[in-house]
Amino acid sequence: MLTYEPGDSVGHRVGARSKLLLQAAFAGAAFAHTDPVGLAALTGLALALLALAATPPRAVFAEYRGVLPFLAAAPAIESFRLGAPWVDPAAAVGPALAAYRTLLLLALVAAYVRTTPVRESEAAVARLVPGKPGRLLGLGVGLVFRLLPVLQADLARTREAMAVRLGDRRPLRERIRLVATAGLTRALSRTDRLAVALRARCLSWNPTPPEATFGRADALALLLAVALLAWAAWDVWPALGVGG
Amino acid sequence: MSTATEDVDLVGEEIAANIARAALFAALTGVFAYVSFQLPVTSVPFTLQVLGVFLAGVFLGPVWGVASMVLYVVAGAVGAPVFAYGSAGLGSLFGQWGGYLWSYPLAAGIVGIGVHGRGELADPGHVGLGRLVGAMAAATLVIYAFGTLGYAIVGDVSLVTALVAAALPFVPAEAIKAAATVAIVRSDAVTAR
Amino acid sequence: MIETRDLTHRYGPSEGRGEPETESSADPDAPASPVALRDVSLTVPDGEFLVLAGANGSGKSTLVRHFNGLLTPTTGEVLVDDDPVGDDLVAARTRVGMVFQEPRDCFVAATVARDVAFGPENLGLDRAEIDRRVERALAAVNMAGRGDERIDRLSGGEQERVAVAGALAMEPSHLVLDEPFTGLDESARASVLAHLRDLHREGTGIVLVTHDLRDVLDPADRLVILADGAVAVDGAPDAAVDALADLPVRRPERC
Repeated sequence: MLTYEPGDSVGHRVGARSKLLLQAAFAGAAFAHTDPVGLAALTGLALALLALAATPPRAVFAEYRGVLPFLAAAPAIESFRLGAPWVDPAAAVGPALAAYRTLLLLALVAAYVRTTPVRESEAAVARLVPGKPGRLLGLGVGLVFRLLPVLQADLARTREAMAVRLGDRRPLRERIRLVATAGLTRALSRTDRLAVALRARCLSWNPTPPEATFGRADALALLLAVALLAWAAWDVWPALGVGG
Repeated sequence: MSTATEDVDLVGEEIAANIARAALFAALTGVFAYVSFQLPVTSVPFTLQVLGVFLAGVFLGPVWGVASMVLYVVAGAVGAPVFAYGSAGLGSLFGQWGGYLWSYPLAAGIVGIGVHGRGELADPGHVGLGRLVGAMAAATLVIYAFGTLGYAIVGDVSLVTALVAAALPFVPAEAIKAAATVAIVRSDAVTAR
Repeated sequence: MIETRDLTHRYGPSEGRGEPETESSADPDAPASPVALRDVSLTVPDGEFLVLAGANGSGKSTLVRHFNGLLTPTTGEVLVDDDPVGDDLVAARTRVGMVFQEPRDCFVAATVARDVAFGPENLGLDRAEIDRRVERALAAVNMAGRGDERIDRLSGGEQERVAVAGALAMEPSHLVLDEPFTGLDESARASVLAHLRDLHREGTGIVLVTHDLRDVLDPADRLVILADGAVAVDGAPDAAVDALADLPVRRPERC
């Protein structure tokens, strides 16, 4: 599973906000240029970004191995024809390019997750969304990160206990109900306790804002994001029919 | 040490409880995303995410159900491993299956409105079976509409291909999840006020 | 100073968990709602080490949750430093710090320092002050220099100490602990208790809620025992222990 790996690569030094923006801009450019030339250029850029983030492509590949068959399904089905010659390779080109684009986007996700500690992601959310919604979103995202391992452990225990007691032979619906109910009951009492604890510690709408850092690496990342967006707009703008 | 206490704007009891619960259902949906079961006949592995969407709508109602799924999507977008099979990231939202993720807040809202209406939250254990099932069926429809359209557009394939690759194999599992939701709501084990 | 005057707390009909005694309501049509506390008047002076004991369901947890306004009295009032708690919840919650049972359910953040900083951040303090408080709070529970560790990898006793630090970072004059020894082994229990004694010696008031009186009477200034939501015993520990015979609490072994 992808997790944060401490380090001091360029990728680690760029703030979470800049990295999120860069990813969005990259996605925009990739959607605007889903053609062999565009994706080749973006592949080069993605490889460079992975290198800067101390994320070997090998690690990315290992992470998404399970996804590859799903990605391959679309072009395979699309090229299938009911009748001779049964397969039409030309029809697979578009979907294959689209599938490859998804893979590029996922590669950047891997780099982001490996270089960004949770608290920075949380702070980025709180900063990107202003006011009370931003406070709730930042707090909520932090709590999701906090609750995940707890719930995973609960669920693993339940499934184990079920297997021991031959729960495997119960009907599927019943098994799902057991797994979900066990997780839910325990978790609901947990969160009620958590909510009381939050209030006891003066949960407020206007806490000290998270520390903001904006270094040279951030400036470069933003510059790159702007360049990508401009490149995306270059092609999309006329397509929108502006000026005919 | 004195603090200027009048400047501190406390979050009220109700919102504190609801944000904790919204985060809980978001995390639960994330955990469900990598519990996979196999359908008896087709042997397609499916995950339980949508069960989380249903439960959020049923237990939290329309407003906080939507909030919970927004938390789920945002937490995943910034790197929490909560999407299918433990994936994450902005890239997933723009990938082939992104349509499903975008639909979850809306779907939880539909379940919430269907089950509770617009006013006070009802006790889900006492909501009629027809309402529960109807709400979940409508939500499932929305999820698959978003999911299939997203797959067709992002994957650059025809709607038929999208249906075959990304929807039809999984639909039977939704019926099972809906049935499980009804069983959970009706069981005495879970009491959410 | 914490003060309750004729404090009565009645749970709403839907909240009736456990088995608190029910009392017939004034309105004959209304469902009888369980009474958790009845007419409790109690004054906790600054710097006092108070042990609050009683069986499960006797109202201990309900009582302390009124000290900082987490619950609102049905009748009666609660004052902290002579101010009604409801008038300034922030003041009440900074003066009365609280540590709950099962601390691992109550952490907000994944790492130690981030969690301890949560309270001060809510108060809007500046970063330098927050860092100073986190450092001091961690030092007070012997966790200095361990701010970057993940909380879920700590032992039960260490987690309890982090929870105490989280409350201390608010710089409270009273520290309330609700069953802090649940799930701790003997050595962890002893170490948490030792830290509480140190805090008391340095002037922090301690309110220790427990059903297990072993070792806690020695540092205590006073013992209050609740039964059925009312004060059954209140006095110096040694005298109060003699009144324990008929009450369902675990008695200290040395008595």
